[in-house]
Amino acid sequence: MEQTDEELMRAYQEGDEEAMSEIFGRYQKKIFNFALRLLGQRADAEDATADVFLNLIKTETSWRPSAKFSTWLYTVARNACLSKLRKHRNVFSLSFSKGPGEDETAWDIPEPAVAATAFHQKELSAHIKTAIDKLPVSQREVLILREYQDLSYDEISNITGESLSNVKVLIFRAREQLRQTLSFLLKEVQS
Amino acid sequence: MSTLNQNYDEKVKQAISAWVDGEASLQEKELAERSVRENVGYARYAAELKKLTSSLKRWEAEDLSPDLLWRLQNSNEREGFSMKNLFSSFNVRLAGGLVAAAIAVVIVVHLPEVMQQEQKGKDALLLKARQEQTPVEQKKPAESLAQPAAEVSRSVRDGVSAPVTALLGVAKLQGNKGGHGSYAPMMARAEMRFSENRELSSSAVGGLSFGQRHYPAQPGNTEGYNKVEELSFKNVTSDPLSTFSIDVDTASYSNLRRFLTEGQMPPQDAVRIEEMINYFHYDYPKPDGKEPFSITTEIGPCAWNPGHEVVLIGLKGKELDKATMPPSNLVFLIDVSGSMQYPNKLPLLQQAFRKLTNQLSEKEKVAMVVYAGNAGMVLPSTSGAEKSKILQAIDGLQAGGSTAGGAGIQLAYQVAKENFIKGGNNRVILATDGDFNIGASSDAEMVRLIESKRDEGIFLTVLGFGEGNLKDSKMQQIADKGNGNYFYIDSLMEAQKVLVRELGSTLFTIAKDVKIQVEFNPAKVKGYRLIGYEKRVLANEDFNNDKKDAGELGAGHTVTALYEIIPAGSKEDTGSTVDPFKYQQPDKVKEGSDELLTVKLRYKEPDGVESQLITKILKPAAAGAVFSENFKQASAVAEFGLLLRKSQFKGSAKYQDVSDTLKGLKSEDKDGYRTELIQLVEKAKAMDETPVSGIQFKN
Repeated sequence: MEQTDEELMRAYQEGDEEAMSEIFGRYQKKIFNFALRLLGQRADAEDATADVFLNLIKTETSWRPSAKFSTWLYTVARNACLSKLRKHRNVFSLSFSKGPGEDETAWDIPEPAVAATAFHQKELSAHIKTAIDKLPVSQREVLILREYQDLSYDEISNITGESLSNVKVLIFRAREQLRQTLSFLLKEVQS
Repeated sequence: MSTLNQNYDEKVKQAISAWVDGEASLQEKELAERSVRENVGYARYAAELKKLTSSLKRWEAEDLSPDLLWRLQNSNEREGFSMKNLFSSFNVRLAGGLVAAAIAVVIVVHLPEVMQQEQKGKDALLLKARQEQTPVEQKKPAESLAQPAAEVSRSVRDGVSAPVTALLGVAKLQGNKGGHGSYAPMMARAEMRFSENRELSSSAVGGLSFGQRHYPAQPGNTEGYNKVEELSFKNVTSDPLSTFSIDVDTASYSNLRRFLTEGQMPPQDAVRIEEMINYFHYDYPKPDGKEPFSITTEIGPCAWNPGHEVVLIGLKGKELDKATMPPSNLVFLIDVSGSMQYPNKLPLLQQAFRKLTNQLSEKEKVAMVVYAGNAGMVLPSTSGAEKSKILQAIDGLQAGGSTAGGAGIQLAYQVAKENFIKGGNNRVILATDGDFNIGASSDAEMVRLIESKRDEGIFLTVLGFGEGNLKDSKMQQIADKGNGNYFYIDSLMEAQKVLVRELGSTLFTIAKDVKIQVEFNPAKVKGYRLIGYEKRVLANEDFNNDKKDAGELGAGHTVTALYEIIPAGSKEDTGSTVDPFKYQQPDKVKEGSDELLTVKLRYKEPDGVESQLITKILKPAAAGAVFSENFKQASAVAEFGLLLRKSQFKGSAKYQDVSDTLKGLKSEDKDGYRTELIQLVEKAKAMDETPVSGIQFKN
C-alpha cells in the first residue's frame, strides 16, 4: 500500500528522510505549476516553489498531523505566490517571457472558424495563459486550484479562506470571463 | 432581459458551474438538472463549461527547470538532508531528454537602469532580437548558434544602454563573462524563447530555461558528480600493501578548467586529483625491450607537509609508429539531441572531426551513428581515404529532438562488430552532453552490453561536451565498463588534444588491466597515503586475480601516481584506526634492506588473457639529490588539487606555492598547458582567498 502524504510527513518528522524525498517527488511539479499559472512568470514561480519546499523541510514546519497535508501545502504555496504578487505592485517587473506570438500587441486573434484546428499546441497554451493572466487574482487562484490542481471546493475554501459559496461564485465568474476570451475554443460546441 | 431574468439566468448558470464540478448543493443540483433538461441554451452552456475545462488542460504542466531542481536539492542539503534518493527519483524524468532540450535565452538585466528605459526601447529590443532569430533555420547548423546568440547579445546592448548580459542557455559564450552575480540584489530575469525556430521551439514547449545562476561556486544544474572520499593515511606495519588500477582519464581537469574560467570554484567532487595530474605531459624514459612500458620511481620532499615525503610512480607506454600501428575500426556514436546544438557541443565536435578526418588513412575505417529521437546511421563504415565522404557526413550532422541513447549504442556496437578488424583497434566513440534516455530499467542492461562488447574486443571512449546536463559520474562509469576512457571536451584545443594529437594513445590500447601494487618497507616508511585514485583502489588480493578488470594504457600514454609518505623515524601518528599487531613485531622486518618500497605492476596484452608482472624497487633519495621536473610538476598539480578539494590533507598547501613551483619549471611548455595551468591557479587563488560576494541562496 502506498503511504499517504500524512503518513510520510509523520515519518519525516520522526527522522525518516526518504519520506521527504517521496513528498518532493509527489508535489514539486504540482506546486511549481500552480505557482507558474498563478504568477504567469517563471522566475517568480521558481522562487515561490523554492520557498515552499524550504519551508516544508524546516523542522519547525507548521504542519500539524490533524491537517490534510495537500491542503496545507497549497496554502503555503498560495501565500508564497501572493507575497510575490504584492511585491510586484511596488517593483517594476520586466518580463520578456512573452515570445513572438505570445505578445498581446503582436497577437492577432485568428478567425474563430479556423482557430481551433489551426492552433498549434504552443500557441494554444500561450493563448490560455494570457486569458488566465487577465483574471483578477481572486478568481485566478480558485480557477487554477479547480481546473489544474483538481481540488474540491471544500479544499479550495480551506486554502483561500473564502467561504464555500464565495468559491462557487469566484469559479463561476472566472469561467464566464474565460468563456468570452476563449470563445474560439468553444466554437464547435455552439455550432 | 429584465433584471429579474438576468438574476435568474446567472443563478442557473452558477448552479450549472457547480454542478459540472459535482459540487452543487441539492437545490443547485435540482435547478441545474432541470434547466439543462428543459432548455437547449442551458444544455449548451453546460457543454461549454465541460469543453472549457478540457480546453484549459491544453495549457500543459511544465517541468521544473534544472535550475529549480538544483535549488530544491540545495535547500535540502542545507537542512542536512541527504538528497541522494530525491535525485535518483529525478533521474528518470531528467533522462527524458527534457533537460537536454533546454534552450531558453536568459537575459539578466540591471534593473534600476533598465527602469529608466522607455517601453519603446524594450519593444524595439524584442523586435530586433526576433528579427534576428528568424534566419536561424536557413543557416548551416555549424554556425547557426554562435550567431543568434551573439546577435541577441548585441541587439540587447544596442537596444538598452544599461549593462546587459545575454547568456545563451547552457552554452555560455566565450568572452561574455560579465554579470556573474554582480547585479545580484536587484534583478529581473527575462526569458526569450526562440519560438520561431521550429527545431528549437519543439523542445521549448516545456519552456525550460537554464537560468543564469547567481549562486557563486555552484553549477546550479543537473551535473552529477559522485562523492569522492579521500583516502587516508595507512600504517605500513598493518597495511604494507597498496593496490590500485591505473587511470588515464583527464576529464576532471578540463571540467574544472571550465568552472575556473567562468569564475566559479569547481564543486569539490568534480576534482579528481589523479585526472589532473595525468592531464599533463611527463618526460619519462621510453620503454626499451619487449615490455610495453617503462616504470619510473622517485622520492622527494612533500611541498605541503614538511616532514613528509612524496613518492612518484610513473609509467610510460611505448609509442607506436603510425606506419606500424594496427588498423582501426572506429564507430562514432553522436548525440544529436536538441541540446547538442550549442557552439561548444556539436559544432565543436564537427570542427574536431574535420581535423581528425584529415589525419585518417586507408588503414582506418570510420562509421557514424547518430541518436536523438531515433538512432540512425549517417555514415556506413568508410575507409579513411575517402575523406570527402566522411566530411560530407560530418557537415550533415544536425542537432534536434530528444535523447534516446539506448538504440544508438546498440546500433553503434553492431556496426563495430560487422566491421571488426582482428588485432586492430575496434572502438565506439560516444560523443554526448548528457545521459541516455533509455529508461531506468535498462541502465543495467546497457552496462551489460558494454561489458560484453568489451569482452568481444570492442572498446568504448566517451567524449563529454558542454555543461549544465553533464552526467560526469555516469559517463566515467560507462567508459570504465567498456575498458575505455572518458574525456571532457571544453574547447577546440581540448578536442584537438584528444582526437587529433593523442589519437594514437587515446584510441590505441597497448596494455589492458594495468594494476599497480606497492609494498612499503616498514623499516623505512611508517605511513602512506595514495593521492587521488579513490575510485581505482583495488583489494590486495585482486592484484594477482586476472579476472579483475582494471585500467588500460594507450600508446605513448603516461600515467603518474603519487604517494605521500611518513618516514619511519617520524613520531607522527598515521591516524590509522587499526590497532598495532600483537604478534607481528616490527623487528621481524627483513633486515639490511635499504629499500623504501617495491612497485609491482601487472598488465595484459590488449588481446591477452594472462597478466605479466614487472617489478621495480625504489631506494631513498641520495643526499643533495636534484628532483626531476616531472616530480615537481606532478607534486604542484597535486597540491593544487588538494586546495581545490579543500582536502583535509592539504596541510600548508598554498596557491602561491603551486604557481611559484610551476613558474620555476625549466622544461619547455610545448603545448602551453602549463601556462594555462598557472593562470587557473591564479584565478582559483583570487576566488578562493577572497570572500565571495553575490546573491546567496535566499532563506
